[in-house]
Amino acid sequence: MVRGGAAFLRLIGHRASGTITVTLKWDRCNWTSRMYRLMHGLGKTRRLAQNEARIKMEEMVIGKRSETIADHIEASGISRRRFLEFCAVLVAMAPSGLALTKKASALEVAQKIGASKRPSVIWLHFQDCTGCTESLLHASRPDIADLIFNVISLDYHETFMAASGYQAEEALRHAVEENNGNFILVVEGSIPTREHGAYMKLAGRPALEVLRDTGSEAALVVAIGSCASWGGIPSADPNPTGALGVDSILANKAVVNLPGCPPNPYNFLSVLLEYSTMHRIPALDEYHRPKFAYDRLIHEDCPRRGHFDAGRFAGVFGDEGHRQGWCLYKLGCKGPVTHAPCSTMHFNETPGVWPIGIGTPCAGCTEKATAFRIPIFQTVDIHSITPPEALPAIDARAGSIGVAAATTVGAIAGAAATAAMIASRRLPDSKRIRAIQKSEDTTKPRNKDIDLEGR
Amino acid sequence: MEITRRHLLGSMAKGAATVFAAGGVSSVALADESRAKEKQEASQTAIAMLYDATLCVGCQSCVSACAQANNLTPDKRLDTLHQSPRDLSDTTKNVVKLYKPADGTPYSYIKQQCMHCVDPACAAACLFKALKKETGTGIVTWNPGLCVGCRYCQIVCSYHIPKFQWRGVNPRIVKCEFCKERLARGDDPACTSVCPTHAVVFGKRTSLLAEAKLRIAKSPGKYYEERVFGEREGGGTQVLYLTKASFEKLGLPKLGNEPIPAKYLKWQKRMYSYLLIPAALYAVIVSITRKSWNRHEEHLKEEEKATGLRPQL
Amino acid sequence: MSRAWERCVPVFDIPILTRPFVALCTLGAVACGLVLYREAAGLGAASGMNDAYAWGIWKTFNIMALTGLGSGGFSIGIATWLFGRRSLHSVMRTAVLSSFLIYASGLMLLGIDVGRPWNFLWILAPWRWNVHSPMLEVGFCMPLYTAVPLFLEAIPPVLEWIHSRWPELESTAEMAESLLKRIYPWVLGLAFLLPAMHQSSLGALMLLAGNQVHPLWQTPWLPLLYVWAASFMGFAFVSVVLMVCHLVWNRSLDEDVLREMSRITAWLIATWLIFRFADLAMRGRLHLAVQISAPSALFWMEILLLLSAALMLAVASKRHNVRLAFQGSILAALGGLMYRFDPTTLAFQPRAGAFYFPTFIELLIDIGFLSLTVATFSLLAKVLPILPASTRLWRAMESARWNKSVLHPQQAEYTHYAAAD
Repeated sequence: MVRGGAAFLRLIGHRASGTITVTLKWDRCNWTSRMYRLMHGLGKTRRLAQNEARIKMEEMVIGKRSETIADHIEASGISRRRFLEFCAVLVAMAPSGLALTKKASALEVAQKIGASKRPSVIWLHFQDCTGCTESLLHASRPDIADLIFNVISLDYHETFMAASGYQAEEALRHAVEENNGNFILVVEGSIPTREHGAYMKLAGRPALEVLRDTGSEAALVVAIGSCASWGGIPSADPNPTGALGVDSILANKAVVNLPGCPPNPYNFLSVLLEYSTMHRIPALDEYHRPKFAYDRLIHEDCPRRGHFDAGRFAGVFGDEGHRQGWCLYKLGCKGPVTHAPCSTMHFNETPGVWPIGIGTPCAGCTEKATAFRIPIFQTVDIHSITPPEALPAIDARAGSIGVAAATTVGAIAGAAATAAMIASRRLPDSKRIRAIQKSEDTTKPRNKDIDLEGR
Repeated sequence: MEITRRHLLGSMAKGAATVFAAGGVSSVALADESRAKEKQEASQTAIAMLYDATLCVGCQSCVSACAQANNLTPDKRLDTLHQSPRDLSDTTKNVVKLYKPADGTPYSYIKQQCMHCVDPACAAACLFKALKKETGTGIVTWNPGLCVGCRYCQIVCSYHIPKFQWRGVNPRIVKCEFCKERLARGDDPACTSVCPTHAVVFGKRTSLLAEAKLRIAKSPGKYYEERVFGEREGGGTQVLYLTKASFEKLGLPKLGNEPIPAKYLKWQKRMYSYLLIPAALYAVIVSITRKSWNRHEEHLKEEEKATGLRPQL
Repeated sequence: MSRAWERCVPVFDIPILTRPFVALCTLGAVACGLVLYREAAGLGAASGMNDAYAWGIWKTFNIMALTGLGSGGFSIGIATWLFGRRSLHSVMRTAVLSSFLIYASGLMLLGIDVGRPWNFLWILAPWRWNVHSPMLEVGFCMPLYTAVPLFLEAIPPVLEWIHSRWPELESTAEMAESLLKRIYPWVLGLAFLLPAMHQSSLGALMLLAGNQVHPLWQTPWLPLLYVWAASFMGFAFVSVVLMVCHLVWNRSLDEDVLREMSRITAWLIATWLIFRFADLAMRGRLHLAVQISAPSALFWMEILLLLSAALMLAVASKRHNVRLAFQGSILAALGGLMYRFDPTTLAFQPRAGAFYFPTFIELLIDIGFLSLTVATFSLLAKVLPILPASTRLWRAMESARWNKSVLHPQQAEYTHYAAAD
């Protein structure tokens, strides 16, 4: 940890002024104090102090685009340990799905993030419940709220920003203009399209229009939540508002969908940081969802999978199986048809805090074909059939004789035997033949029994 | 009228001379021919699978992977939710079974699929070589364009591997073919690629035999009879087994070291080699028959004179 | 005292469409319908065959066992032509026709039994053959035998029939007959060689099954035992046919011929039994026969059937006992059938728990085909000169039915029935 810290500092030191070390609040670094004593010993104290002052002044300017995330972290007083912990969580989330975290240690991730600039984020809410924002806020360790405000430049967010009214809309317009196509647009909530989008208006303008205007300028559009991804709850039958997802509106734009109701906050953070540090979007599937989070089914990694494989199911809520924590498939769990990382990444960073974990069947909230369409307690078909826990024995079981077949065989055998016996009685034995030979009669008696010759 | 014994012996003597002449020629030809083809050996490039039952945990990933790689419908007959094959079938090319003795002796899993024998009985039996052993890899493949569906291969296989599609109008023989499409792409067979404990591994037969023997040497007393099944059984197979439980209890048949075709078709091959012996026999038969026939014709003529009726052939 | 069989005469006094004939044809029609079902639904739907017992009664009974009964043309032919038992020539036509019909129905059933019959065309491409496979030998030899020598041997009655029914085709018929006469020895040669080959190959088929066949049956001499069994089965079957024709159609029985056949059959069975036991003894398997088990019971059933058959036939041939000859021949046929059937099914255990029993449909198809065989035989025996009889009967037939057609200029004098020959 100490050596790691030193390397981190070295990085920052180089960035700041080449060779001069920067005074830190973190005094436990031996390297720093050693260097300081050395410098001091060489009599360059004054110059150091002057440089320190200069750098400190620069650091105080918050909001400048040339500053890196590392600068902001340092300035805001967030400990490096907490930052590294955050990076460690990122690595656990997507060890190889992101270029950012691919085969990287938490430290390497921290370095990459630290070296990049703060991206500008504009966050629009449409027909939403703000659950996705809540999900982001509910990360408890580290304090994501703090981190977000320092890692990104959140230029417009209706829930978080203090401003309202004209000032808020002015901030939005200003952010769009100033960033000159460099900002990330995050959309939460579905967009109503009926009645020319009259069902949701933002400062008097239909959501449709706002999205089109803002979206056309954005560098990256992220649709967070099922509503923004494909319409969500508002789009459930009969979809009175004509709610659509972002990619249906912004047809020509690259949109990253992060469905979920709400999605895990780390889905969003990983995409954001991948983009701002490595300047690339993670690999997406055919629904524009990042594969690192959405390529596996809940069923594939479910903690209760063993029960499924062994055929142990909860029948009704509260029965013995349910109490034992058995598989919820028969209660309508949509796990087998739902792509989401919930099996491995639970919510609120607390193991077990997710629907199946608390004994409720998965509702399939990320899937357009499933969520709010198939009833929650209706069973789904399993598409990817896998073997059960039980295995067959070495030898197969035998079959049995059909009744009709056995009767037929018996009947034939019986009939044949009888016929043969009757027939053989009609043939002459040696006694009869001797009798015939004795008689020497060529005229044919009517009695066929002793008639050796036919007609 | 009748052929007397003297006549018979005379013609048989003449025939015998023919036979010995032909026999002499054919036996010379037979000598090299039969010995050369008598027994097939494994080629140097033969591929193989080594399955170590002591490492297998019965996860059945190989069963699932095989079904996916070969586009087979999972066998859901026993259990509608799971792919639960009871045995190899027309939809299951690879199955894992459990040997669990009631008396508490250690249990063992066993993976079953085509053994790709070095001298396969099925290939020797198949009349149009629909089942054929490929020369390089040694994979026993099935060709739908040649198979008649006579199911003789099912009768002769000691391991009871080839399965037949008993329903439908275009029935196929279904068995493991070592994922030959995957091999052509440079991938390993599906089952060996997914095994989490490396219980089943893929490689060249020579290397895997050496590996198996190494494992046996390293852990004396661990493996049944300190030997690998498939090294010599039935002439050798390209799927090798290392187990703790006895081979017979795990369903592997007890076979000698001689391959089935070599053991049972020796005389068949010799008798029919180049059809020399049948031809010689034919010559003998015809020579005898001709004499009988001539005599018969004379008899017919006499009968015609006696009865005035047209002779019947 | 019985008159010698000198000519072959059709069963002219019995109409073709009798009730049994119609019943047999109905069964045959039902079978044909069921065959369509088998083609549509697959083998598993129409039969009880499964992966453990891949061969059902269509192969194991009709081909492996029944063609043994259909070896009359083969064994009686060898006795007649190679061993000079001239008196047996009179039953050759019966033997040939019954062989032909059994082989034809067996091969048709085989066509139904195989799963991919369209690929059988490769039989015409020798470069595709696996020359060491016994299956190839059977698949090549049996159709060839049925189509060439057996067919050509069966042709003469047809030619005679054509000759007598259609005088305008006389010259063609005669040309065909003379051609046939020229090539007959070579045809006969094939008629003896080919069955020897494929009947032994039928035995070789089960050789490759190895340990799956019970050791009481499995032996390297299986091919020889099969062809030997075929020989006495052929004899026995033809005897039974002749005696049944006597009973059903009131045809004459030539006791001398029957005695000859019984004698030969008895000898063949006796030698076969000796060889079988010698083979078991030399390979050290006799102890299995004396154990109490299902296979040994089966074994002894076969042996008992054949032993009693041999004894009955031996006695019948010495003591003018037709009834005993009939019973003995039936037992011989049954014992032979059992012997050839057992290694394929009853004494064949591929693995523990394997099971097979024919389904009702499978049995019906088999029965239907056999009924058609019997019906065809009865039809042909009534129309063509097949069954042996005395010359007296021939003249009676001519006067009764073939009055109008004059076969031979000199025949005219004999168109009326004479009281004594």
